[in-house]
Amino acid sequence: MSCTVEDELTAYLDGELSAVEAARVRTHLASCADCRATEALLRRTVTELAALPAFEPSVTLRRRVLAEVEALPRPWPERLREWFRPALLAPAGVAVATAVVVAVVAGKHVMADRAEQRTELAVAEHYELLSDYEVVGLSGDDLDVVEHLDELQKEGRP
Amino acid sequence: MLRVAAGDTAAFAALYDRHHRSVARFAHRFVQDAGKAEELTQDIFVKLFRHAGRYRATAKFKTFLFRVAANHCLNEVRRGEYRVTHVPEHGEEGQPVEVPAPEAHAPDRAVEGRELEATVAAALERLSERERTAFALCRFEGMAYRDIAEVLSASESAVKSLIHRATLSVARAVEAWQAGARSPARSEA
Repeated sequence: MSCTVEDELTAYLDGELSAVEAARVRTHLASCADCRATEALLRRTVTELAALPAFEPSVTLRRRVLAEVEALPRPWPERLREWFRPALLAPAGVAVATAVVVAVVAGKHVMADRAEQRTELAVAEHYELLSDYEVVGLSGDDLDVVEHLDELQKEGRP
Repeated sequence: MLRVAAGDTAAFAALYDRHHRSVARFAHRFVQDAGKAEELTQDIFVKLFRHAGRYRATAKFKTFLFRVAANHCLNEVRRGEYRVTHVPEHGEEGQPVEVPAPEAHAPDRAVEGRELEATVAAALERLSERERTAFALCRFEGMAYRDIAEVLSASESAVKSLIHRATLSVARAVEAWQAGARSPARSEA
């Protein structure tokens, strides 16, 4: 077939042509027996195709699809929502507050321990002197007294 | 779809319930095999869930869905994962694809329906992949040429040609089958 309008016939049947194009096809069909035959064949086929039975997927397909989707790693937005949901957020807040209190208290203990450690180091430094005067066991406050014990004894102090 | 993108599986299930038949029908027209069509449908919906974040509300959802579906079917067939099943033409031995339930009072019409289905399936097999895609979307999903053009990333005039060639090809095959089926030689056989 040599008619250029033939290429438009399916679109004409499908209502996909503009009003001007459709009018041109209608005019052509009135005078072209070949195109009329083709148009009739296409029209008949389109009607028959619409009556064909449709494929119906099995009911198990739904279960398979949803199971596969459930098994996928969750996307970030959902994971973040999960992390910040109130049921988790409240205990997390309590945990953080507790951690802060523990840190502060523990910090004080550490400071105290360090002070004690400094004292012990001073005792160790003067350990020989302390041994000489059999004063091992005295606290760091007494170290000055221990250090100047000779002088104090010369001065006659107890 | 936005809820699906956020990982809402209940929203996804609703989306599946609404659209799975269309996708399965399309895949079935593509591979002509029920089992393969279901595998493709499953892959397409899982892909849809995984990439839901790419959906932009400016596009029609059905267009987006069939773009995913068409690309997946085309890629899988090209990769050789799925081969279009040969559908026996009328008169050949073998199992035809989906058939209408036989009507007890009209067995001839049931047979005719099966043969028409097989004829159409064989004609679809002879089309190019793009012709088959455009034809299936137009004839079985009722999509407009403009939407099919979006699915195929093609111009509307290209889609018009694809659909015309495919429809005419199927029409000629049906015409030939009808001429053979209704000829006296066949009636006597």
